[in-house]
Amino acid sequence: MLKRFASIDATPYSWPFDGRWSADDSALLVLGFQSGMIVALEAQPELAVAARLVSAAQAAGLPVIASRRGRAETLSPVAGRRAAMGAEMGDPLFPPHTPEWELAGALDLPADAPIFDHPGDNAFYSTGLEAWLRQRGIRNLVLAGLPTEGLLHATQRAANDMGFECIAVSDACKGTTDARHAGQLRITAFGNGLFGTVATADQLIAALNVP
Amino acid sequence: MSDFWPCTQPESPSRAALVVIDMQVDFCAPGGWVDQLGEDVSNTRSVIPAVAEALKIARGAGLAVYHTREGHKLDLSDLPANKQWRTRVHGLGIGDEGTAGRILVRGEPGFEIVPEVAALPGETVIDKPGKSSFHATDFDERLKAEGITHLIVIGVTSDCCVQSTFRDGFERGYECVILEDCTAAVETPNHEATMEILKAFGGRWGTVSDLAGFRAAVEALHA
Repeated sequence: MLKRFASIDATPYSWPFDGRWSADDSALLVLGFQSGMIVALEAQPELAVAARLVSAAQAAGLPVIASRRGRAETLSPVAGRRAAMGAEMGDPLFPPHTPEWELAGALDLPADAPIFDHPGDNAFYSTGLEAWLRQRGIRNLVLAGLPTEGLLHATQRAANDMGFECIAVSDACKGTTDARHAGQLRITAFGNGLFGTVATADQLIAALNVP
Repeated sequence: MSDFWPCTQPESPSRAALVVIDMQVDFCAPGGWVDQLGEDVSNTRSVIPAVAEALKIARGAGLAVYHTREGHKLDLSDLPANKQWRTRVHGLGIGDEGTAGRILVRGEPGFEIVPEVAALPGETVIDKPGKSSFHATDFDERLKAEGITHLIVIGVTSDCCVQSTFRDGFERGYECVILEDCTAAVETPNHEATMEILKAFGGRWGTVSDLAGFRAAVEALHA
């Protein structure tokens, strides 16, 4: 029997809703911390926070899962239009297998961390992520990602419809503007958690650091 | 070149679908769930005339029309435990008995589409358990079977089910357009934040237009 972690005083409610989370039934999702995106968003501080989360999750025995956006073979014309908008759009797509597309080494992912490559912003769409989580009995998801209104939110929306109990880590994600970041997280928590909850990395790490 | 469609205009009007999200009594009528919670339905009600006008344009031009309704099976077997718990905190949760029947349960009076924008015979109604019309439904299969390539998404609420359907439509390769005067949220700041996010960078997941833009784009299809 694994030790349960303490509940987190999240916005808008104490997470998880039923007080049940342990290394057995919870996972950390680290979405789109790709080198080019970190530069585009100037998200070095958020990368450092995400790396602290990865380290704490690993120490606590929580599975850590990473995702990368950009899978050229599945680009639809409408996604292609977006790719053609280029780097100046502030939420750029990077061609697969370029240095900008690679995950930041500073994340220091566990060697066995699965990586899911997705064509758009939702890490569940056309990937094996849901099956991977279900096979392991995971029901709670801690999410970090770039940008907030892109990968992080699109993936959390999908996870929420699937019934996963989600918590977004507010300082381990960054929007293409501060207003978009704040607006998207406000919508997440609206109506007693329309899409789940929001808390800081320090809150998560304190709960994970069980003696 | 019109800036209404994200990439190109549909090959024919019948390849475009107007998707009217969750214009249900529970979300936008007096006596429905949101109203029973003591929240303001004036925002969601306010778009009923615009949604009716968009329906008129689509029907007149031969576009496909889809309606969605959010709700759950009578035994609530498709209702995640956390979704029910979150709504019960308000005092009246999904599945509970309210004055318009059980909240967000299929077949109940509150689950029905408001009469002003009700589905006509021959139009498809998708009943969905989630926010996204694509989650746990046959919506994608139906669209593909009908040869639909373009979606015009309207209805309520903009920050929730409209945005989820728009984003998921993009993921699946549909060209998606939202008409911002035909959608609303319960709280105005959330509607405004959603529209700003969706419009940024020219529309990352699709475009944002309005009723006038829709009318002109449909006329161009017939030109």
